[in-house]
Amino acid sequence: MNQPKSYFFQSLAIIAISIVAFIVFKSFLPKKLFTETGGNSKNVVIDSLLLEAIEKDSIDRGEADTISKQPIQFKAVDGIVFPTETFQDYKGFQHLVGFFEKLFQLETNKEGKVRIAYFGDSMTDGDMIVQDFRSNFQNRFGGNGVGFVNITSESAASRGSIKHEFSTNWKTQSYLNVKRPKKPFGINGHVFFANDTAHVEWVKYKASNLQHLSELYNPTLFYGKSGNKEAKVAYKVGNDTIYKKLNPSRLVNSLTLGSTVKNLKVDFIKADSIPVYGFNFDDGKGVHVDNFSNRGNSGLPITTFNTEVMRQFQEKLGYDLIVLHYGTNVLNYGSYNYGWYERKMTNVVNHLRECFPGVAILIVSTADKSTKYDLEMKTDSAVVPLTNAQKKYAIQSQSGYINLYTLMGGDGSMVKWVEETPASANKDYTHFNHRGAKKISDLIYNQISQGYEQYKKLRAARKAPAVPKAVVKKDSVTVKKDTTHVQ
Amino acid sequence: MQDWFAHNITSLFTGITGETVKNWFLYNPKEPLLFNTGLFLGLFLVFYSVYILTRKTFHLRLIYVICFSLFFYYKSSGIYFLLLLASSVVDYNLGNILHRESRAAIKKIYLAFSVVLNLSFLGYFKYTNFIIENYNALSGEHFDFQKIILPVGISFYTFQSISYIIEVYRKEIEPTKSYVDYLFFVSFFPQLVAGPIVRAKDFLPQIYQKLNITKDDVNRALLLIIGGLVKKTVISDYISINFVDRVFDAPSSYTAFENLMASYGYAIQIYCDFSGYSDMAIGVALLLGFKLPTNFRTPYQSASITEFWRRWHISLSTWLKDFLYISVGGNRNGSFAGFLFPALFFFGLIVWGINYAPTSNIPLILAVSSLVVFSLTFLLSRDKERTMFTNVNLLTTMLLGGLWHGASLRFIIWGALHGVALAVHKIVIEYFPSQKEEKKGFGGKIGHVFAIILTFHFVTFCWIFFRAKDFTTALELIHNIGNLTFDPEQWKVIAMGYKNVFILMAFGFIWHFLPEKIVNTMQGGFRALPIVGKAIILGLAYWLVYATASAGPQPFIYFQF
Repeated sequence: MNQPKSYFFQSLAIIAISIVAFIVFKSFLPKKLFTETGGNSKNVVIDSLLLEAIEKDSIDRGEADTISKQPIQFKAVDGIVFPTETFQDYKGFQHLVGFFEKLFQLETNKEGKVRIAYFGDSMTDGDMIVQDFRSNFQNRFGGNGVGFVNITSESAASRGSIKHEFSTNWKTQSYLNVKRPKKPFGINGHVFFANDTAHVEWVKYKASNLQHLSELYNPTLFYGKSGNKEAKVAYKVGNDTIYKKLNPSRLVNSLTLGSTVKNLKVDFIKADSIPVYGFNFDDGKGVHVDNFSNRGNSGLPITTFNTEVMRQFQEKLGYDLIVLHYGTNVLNYGSYNYGWYERKMTNVVNHLRECFPGVAILIVSTADKSTKYDLEMKTDSAVVPLTNAQKKYAIQSQSGYINLYTLMGGDGSMVKWVEETPASANKDYTHFNHRGAKKISDLIYNQISQGYEQYKKLRAARKAPAVPKAVVKKDSVTVKKDTTHVQ
Repeated sequence: MQDWFAHNITSLFTGITGETVKNWFLYNPKEPLLFNTGLFLGLFLVFYSVYILTRKTFHLRLIYVICFSLFFYYKSSGIYFLLLLASSVVDYNLGNILHRESRAAIKKIYLAFSVVLNLSFLGYFKYTNFIIENYNALSGEHFDFQKIILPVGISFYTFQSISYIIEVYRKEIEPTKSYVDYLFFVSFFPQLVAGPIVRAKDFLPQIYQKLNITKDDVNRALLLIIGGLVKKTVISDYISINFVDRVFDAPSSYTAFENLMASYGYAIQIYCDFSGYSDMAIGVALLLGFKLPTNFRTPYQSASITEFWRRWHISLSTWLKDFLYISVGGNRNGSFAGFLFPALFFFGLIVWGINYAPTSNIPLILAVSSLVVFSLTFLLSRDKERTMFTNVNLLTTMLLGGLWHGASLRFIIWGALHGVALAVHKIVIEYFPSQKEEKKGFGGKIGHVFAIILTFHFVTFCWIFFRAKDFTTALELIHNIGNLTFDPEQWKVIAMGYKNVFILMAFGFIWHFLPEKIVNTMQGGFRALPIVGKAIILGLAYWLVYATASAGPQPFIYFQF
């Protein structure tokens, strides 16, 4: 039989030439198959204030950095002074003294209650991180209930800490993309309207089976001011339907709907033009944590809060700590100079101090996030500059600070969290899964807890017991209207 | 030109340090030596040059390839290459003993011993923790999980070893002439880590043939390698990391349409990943002068689930048919083993349903109705007994086949869905025999297209269980898809947001459904090219791989509607 001619050498030649061809192609053809286009569509969730701020940033100038070189000393509050800190390890426990004292009273004398407002972006979407943070506090200090919940939410489906459904005819305005809402925003940055008079708007909640959250404790509706005197809400207790009139006379009004239940469905009747804010579920004891998360939020929209409205919220809910957990949405934009973000967020904190006088504020930095450099996923080079900017505005605005990036392991940690088995973060190298969210909340809780323990020691060592007076001191809430920092 | 040379060529070598060279040859669990890496290309070029020089020798060439194969295995599994060596020594000797033994009963014992031994190897590495987990769940005890690393490719080479033993037992082949020949078969690097599962009777005769490749072989090999590279690294890897993985990580964070597209995306992803890698393996083997069996024949073109299994992962399904399905009785007999697994499965399903009954009746309804459907597939048949044996044995095959893919309940569910579907398809064709191809009118053609769409959707539905990290996530995803509303505006916005991903997905599907004529014309065009032309196209494929790998992950998008 005649063997066909062997083709081995030609085969080898093809492979060898192909490698040369590749090297040629690599130098002439584009480096990436797809260029990242920033084609923002109107349906993508990004806050409009952020976009404006970035545009203005182009005329921005960097300025001398003095904060990061000096040691940070604290002034005594009620005779308590935390030791001097360096910029590198800044935690700012000093600025949480008011909050610590409330925790202390709760723990030792079983007196009072503590409330935390946790503002965040998609990291805390669906109550991720916050639900574990809440349960950490409630396990130690007591308290039941999921806290404040919106009327509608983009992430209701993914929320495990409460089952939340709503009719599709609610009209929603969010501080993310609306600057001048028809009625002021609530503390959740949203305002909801039941303007569809042809159909009833409804909202439905069902408690989860999680510890501390297994009931809807004292359901209370929050709504705002309107001239509408006809509005009613209807809900069922057993087989009876109960109607209650809304009285929208003040900027913020509340209405308690019956007692603690497992399920609640509320219909809104003739309630058009009334700004509806949401429901609060808590048992009035221990610690309560409200999750105000918004996908795409940079933190800047908080400046649109109406001071009077917020003060009335504060009157009713009584916050002791505000957590600002942002950053993910400012990582991808432009340069590493975050001076603009630092100044804008300083304004946000100052505005919050105006809205919520005397309430301690805690800044949680961005977590690690990875980007592909050449062929490898590495920590995005914007992460460290952003965490520094966040630290600077925390120092300037006299807030506590948690560096989530270093706590989760610093450089390259996101890659580890994504690749370890079982994984702790998602394949977008940005968001955490439930396992990771639990770890993150523990890191945050542990740092607060560490500050609290230190506070208790300092309190015990304090020479003269403080003259009983309000923890809130006028000078500590002075709002700096530093116009040179405002563009 | 000089600049260009300095920049592109010299930089290739100046960047090399002692450390990088060391890394080329040391085990790194994070960087296995995959066919689509630059390192493999470089090593292969060197290996191949020497291989060609040794092509006229026999033992020298075999030992040379074995050394490279062991190195290849060491690169991805470290010290476990010793396991491969040890198990091959055992299997080779068992094969010889089995061959020499003439007493039927003793032969059976040897066979059983070898199969059990091989399966327990596989079982230890792959299923220990799965068994502990299930035992803990059932008994309420808390045995600690073992830290067992799964050696790469163990599922594949264990099956190859078993095929050798059984074929020797069935007298379909003679044992290899020496241990070296056997080791060459088991360790042959192209198919070592991810198949195709090569059968001893197809492969061993090729060892003893004179080594040769023709122009036609090289063309075929290059087409397979180029196609495989594009499928695996361009389509599959890109859409998985930029879209599919994210949705499967947290289905409820996405819209119904994104959930649906992620399911379609996974269907094309797993096909491109699996078949792409197999194609590369077949291509590389062909360059060395060895013909491995075809593993995938555009499976989503199937018009029935039975046809699907003749086109999907063919080397596995024929292995399962010949060694598992036939062994438990095939379409003639029932056996204890054949009934055991389906019985256990339905028992478990109903217990699960009863456990859930206080919260929801749906699981119990599902469990009972699946048992009823499965029973009907043989009760409605004309030849009840024989159909029962066939279907029970089929279900056993699919259940265990499912488990082979990974140690998890969801693979069992996946296998069960396919097993029941195969049985249902059998009863359907018993009642409605399909028409002959040439008799099909227009209506028949429409029916055929409809059957393809139905089969594809069923398979895609089953993949959800295959991919989701647990049962709850799978149900969550299905529930989300159930909320889909017709909203072309929204779909358009999402498609624009994930433009690159959707383009690649569309490209994958169009390629998959291209009529044979067009594929043949394109391949003919490639064959007609001069050597340099082919090399340039191959080089272009490398660039495509490189450029896709360099593309950063698509930024995260949340839509608001």
